Amino acid sequence: MLLLDYHNVLIHSLLTERFSGSTPVSIDQIVSDFDGVTFHLSTPESKTKILISIQVKCFRELVQYGAQQVLEREYGPYIVDPEPGYDFSVLIDLENLPAEQEAKDDLITRLALMKRNAMAAPFERAFDEFAKLSEEASRYTTESAPQGVKEGGEVMAIHYREEEAIYIKASHDRVTVIFSTVFREETDRIFGKVFLQEFVDARRRVLTLQNAPQVLFRNDPPLELAGVPGLQNVNDGTLSYVTFVLFPRHLTPHRRYENISHIQIFRDYFHYHIKASKAYIHTRMRKRTADFLQVLNRARPENEERERKTASGRTFRVQG
Amino acid sequence: MGDDCSTSLRPYLQCVRSSLSAALAISNFASQTSERHNVPEIEAASSPELLLNPLVISRNSDERTFIEPSVNSVRVSLKVKQADEIEHILVHKFARFLTQRADAFLILRRKPVEGYDISFLITNFHTEAMLKHKIVDFVIEFMEEVDKEISEMKLFLNARARFVAESFLTPFD
Repeated sequence: MLLLDYHNVLIHSLLTERFSGSTPVSIDQIVSDFDGVTFHLSTPESKTKILISIQVKCFRELVQYGAQQVLEREYGPYIVDPEPGYDFSVLIDLENLPAEQEAKDDLITRLALMKRNAMAAPFERAFDEFAKLSEEASRYTTESAPQGVKEGGEVMAIHYREEEAIYIKASHDRVTVIFSTVFREETDRIFGKVFLQEFVDARRRVLTLQNAPQVLFRNDPPLELAGVPGLQNVNDGTLSYVTFVLFPRHLTPHRRYENISHIQIFRDYFHYHIKASKAYIHTRMRKRTADFLQVLNRARPENEERERKTASGRTFRVQG
Repeated sequence: MGDDCSTSLRPYLQCVRSSLSAALAISNFASQTSERHNVPEIEAASSPELLLNPLVISRNSDERTFIEPSVNSVRVSLKVKQADEIEHILVHKFARFLTQRADAFLILRRKPVEGYDISFLITNFHTEAMLKHKIVDFVIEFMEEVDKEISEMKLFLNARARFVAESFLTPFD
């Protein structure tokens, strides 16, 4: 498994099973996802009515950037009042499902992508803003562009984890996505640096990646974030800012759905691979240690020679 | 650099091997200060006449071996090459990994001597129970393998990072 899935596998498999027409059972399950997102799947009224609720830490911020509209677009008829303690709920009636298998599958996938869709709102907004700005900008030359067009839109901040955030800013020729990420441990910090350096270099090194987004990283807040409230400027190297610059080719209508999904999983993907490398190195050291032990054990002489016997089974005994 | 390393490695290891073999001329020696005690004198340092001249063998500025002989014990400390942050953290992790298993390693000291990454403490009891030349072999092989292991792990990390970065960036296009 190299790339992580965009959807929640547990929800996907659970709904696939329920939708396949098996006898309804009562469900009460809490499912965790990345970034502290929690789902609650339950059947509060009857066994055929599944309530799916999602809780996202930064939901208020997301609503501010239009999450409600995105979710309404995706889940329109299924939306119900949010369950207490959760931010958003949908109710699926198993007796009232779409008839065709394809539509069913589509619904399952859409439901499993609930986290992605909630988080997608600010990205979609930025992409739209980009479209608007670029159209405006095309009417001016570089010199005569008014201030607003040149600088681009406001910075949207999503504090999706305790100490980490995503910042999104649209300009007339690109969309900048900045992840701030914290390394708890010295090892993580150093491994992270190695990984990030490769992200930065990949574009330059590999010919086929010339068109990939540009990646930059630094330990102090990038200039784009100047004036954004709530930025800690602790320069002890634990905090890194990773900047993705998405170019117009990534923002075209037919690429945007994929790219929004993909950029969302960056943080989880990145940290997952740091942890995986640590685990690999750990097992490797374990193996190497075992090898060293073997070498050391070679230094011990073989056991004293065994008791010798004659052919008839009598033993020699040293006379005392 | 690679060629230079391998050519300077052999004399370095050879020098450690002969110095260590010479230093391992140790015998049982009961403590002079307390009755019925028998402690490694290099650690106790109870009397200067029991300690021999310590010896540092340096391959370069950041790779060296420190041999401290005494009448009944020898302490060997290694400083492993750490060219950058990654190697530093890998050496540190590896050393910790080994010292946590010091019980199984018998001759491994739980704590390295100040300024070194890993230390061995060889007493006369070890040389009595084990073959002396094989102990030396172990130390030499250890020195060879640690370097190799660290650089392999570093290569692995870089390769993985590269692969991971490329795989992430590919779907954008």
